[in-house]
Amino acid sequence: MNSQLMPAPPAHSRSGGPEVRTYPAIPAGPHNFASQHRRRRLRSDALTVTAWSSVAASLALWLADGGARGIDSAASAFTAMGIVAGLAGMDLVLLMLLLAARIPLIDRTIGHDRALEFHGKLGKPSLYLLLAHGLLIAVGYGMAEGLDPVSESVALWVQVPDMWLAFISMALFLAVVITSLVAVRRRFPYEFWYGVHLLTYAAVATSIPHQFSVGAVFAEGTWQRWYWMAICVATGTALLFFRVLQPVLATYRHRLTVSRIQTVAPGVVNIEMSGRQLDRLTGTGGRFFVWRFLAPGLWWHPHPFSLSAEPLAHGLQGEGGLRITVRNLGRGSAQLARLRPGTKVAVEGPYGLFGTAARTRDKVVMIGAGIGITPLRALLESTPFSPGNATVLLRGHSEQELYLSVEILEICRNRGARLFHLTGPRVDGDPHTWLPEEAVRRGHTLAAYAPDISESDVYVCGPAGWARNVVADARTAGVRAEQIHHERFDW
Amino acid sequence: MTVRGAVSAALASAGILLAGWQAGAQVAEVQAPVAAMSVGATGGAAAGDGTSGTGSTDSGSSESSTAAGGTYTGASVQTRFGSVQVQITVKAGAITDVKALHLTDDDRKSVQISNRAAPLLRSEALAAQSANVQTISGATVTSDAYLTSLQAAIDAAHL
Repeated sequence: MNSQLMPAPPAHSRSGGPEVRTYPAIPAGPHNFASQHRRRRLRSDALTVTAWSSVAASLALWLADGGARGIDSAASAFTAMGIVAGLAGMDLVLLMLLLAARIPLIDRTIGHDRALEFHGKLGKPSLYLLLAHGLLIAVGYGMAEGLDPVSESVALWVQVPDMWLAFISMALFLAVVITSLVAVRRRFPYEFWYGVHLLTYAAVATSIPHQFSVGAVFAEGTWQRWYWMAICVATGTALLFFRVLQPVLATYRHRLTVSRIQTVAPGVVNIEMSGRQLDRLTGTGGRFFVWRFLAPGLWWHPHPFSLSAEPLAHGLQGEGGLRITVRNLGRGSAQLARLRPGTKVAVEGPYGLFGTAARTRDKVVMIGAGIGITPLRALLESTPFSPGNATVLLRGHSEQELYLSVEILEICRNRGARLFHLTGPRVDGDPHTWLPEEAVRRGHTLAAYAPDISESDVYVCGPAGWARNVVADARTAGVRAEQIHHERFDW
Repeated sequence: MTVRGAVSAALASAGILLAGWQAGAQVAEVQAPVAAMSVGATGGAAAGDGTSGTGSTDSGSSESSTAAGGTYTGASVQTRFGSVQVQITVKAGAITDVKALHLTDDDRKSVQISNRAAPLLRSEALAAQSANVQTISGATVTSDAYLTSLQAAIDAAHL
């Protein structure tokens, strides 16, 4: 066993002694993480090609309708640009919806965080395209009829069927994007922002009728009409299936109920749940689930948390228990400490790439801080590595803050992982360090704790600013971007 | 995004756009006769290819006139779906025929609407002997343009 502990042995457990668990057997045999990574990269490229092709296809629809050849005046040029902007804008909106639909293929390829990052990046371009669509069409149509754009818009609203819905749709899109802008997001509570975001569905729904009834590209009997219908229906189906149907099915399948609430440290609780068919939730490592505790005043609040212990399934139906560890972060989390055993739990997931599916190398380094330690525990428990090939760094202000450290020590001993406790205050006035002051003074760097870090997968979980510093240090130590797996844990 | 992904995406997009362009070229060739047909179908007996092709008249003008009869062409009215122009045949102070020289045909949807609206407008105008008839619902733009052009033709005929 290659288990060592620095600089001090762990503090005694606050929960009144560690629980002795049996660890699920790690599948034996060699794991070809290099080929897993190649496949994932191939999928990622395929997704890139699909996304770009869909934008190109939306323009090709118009070209194939003879669009470019119909331009013979300033008016028709404006109208044509308006049509193209509308087609591309709608295509981007559909891509945004697909990125937010939690489709397993996308999630396993680029991860939930990056999918939402791309989703956010498309927000403004798609709004600009849709605004340009409205303006250019009003100008183009207006010029053809000798009207100013405003009168033309009024005429469109009044005379052309389904156009009033399109105007409402535009207003809704504006509302959604403006409220999504970060500055505004900070001023309103999350629930308000979330509610406004749901308006997106209304915005998309009200925009669809005019596309088919007014849009000449999609006139009856054209193949373009079928293509556009197909991608709209496919997107809607994906949303319904993965965001509504699957969570409902999973909730029904697992029948999770809260079995025990246990205080781990001040403000930190273990929530243990029991349920059925838990074997289907195993092996997810640090991937997260979205939990809803079905109690009055709590049920509508989704909580994204990773498992802090792999499910222990026994019995014919896979009955067993699983556990999450929650710190009192906000109003919602505070209420969780007062959950009563027997509360039913709705579950979605697992989501994200903070698990074995992201591995690219045989060696692994896990770095966690504070409550970010808890997903590492589940990952450490389940991800394959040979003894000596894993290093775990836990960071906290005090030993007390190294949540679950007793359990992690136990797993490290059993599986042959190096473990370091990095406690103490950080360097005053240095925003770039993530190590304790003492370690910095002694000249310890990331590479000193994990000498083979440049050939390891590096899992980082902790507060955003801290994690940024860890990632920067890792990059300096020669770790490539593909080896860094970082989970946001502050939302 | 990897280089391989970026290059493949660019190639795929370019290919799709090229295919769209090619398909569009064929549509443009096919569409011209379709538009002409729609005019011919609503135009009644004589399909005057030359007349609709010129489109020279912007204000009402008479092409041939006798004391109380002849054909009069209305103004060409521009709409967002294309131009509309009608020609009336007058005999003994009465409109005996309304022929659409050009109808809204910018796209297939407009052609379809025009083909539905034109015969209705023609029969209503013949019955009313004026441009003072109801617009066809679902073809408001075409109807307005049709009746405007018709009024211009009637004005030109001094009826």
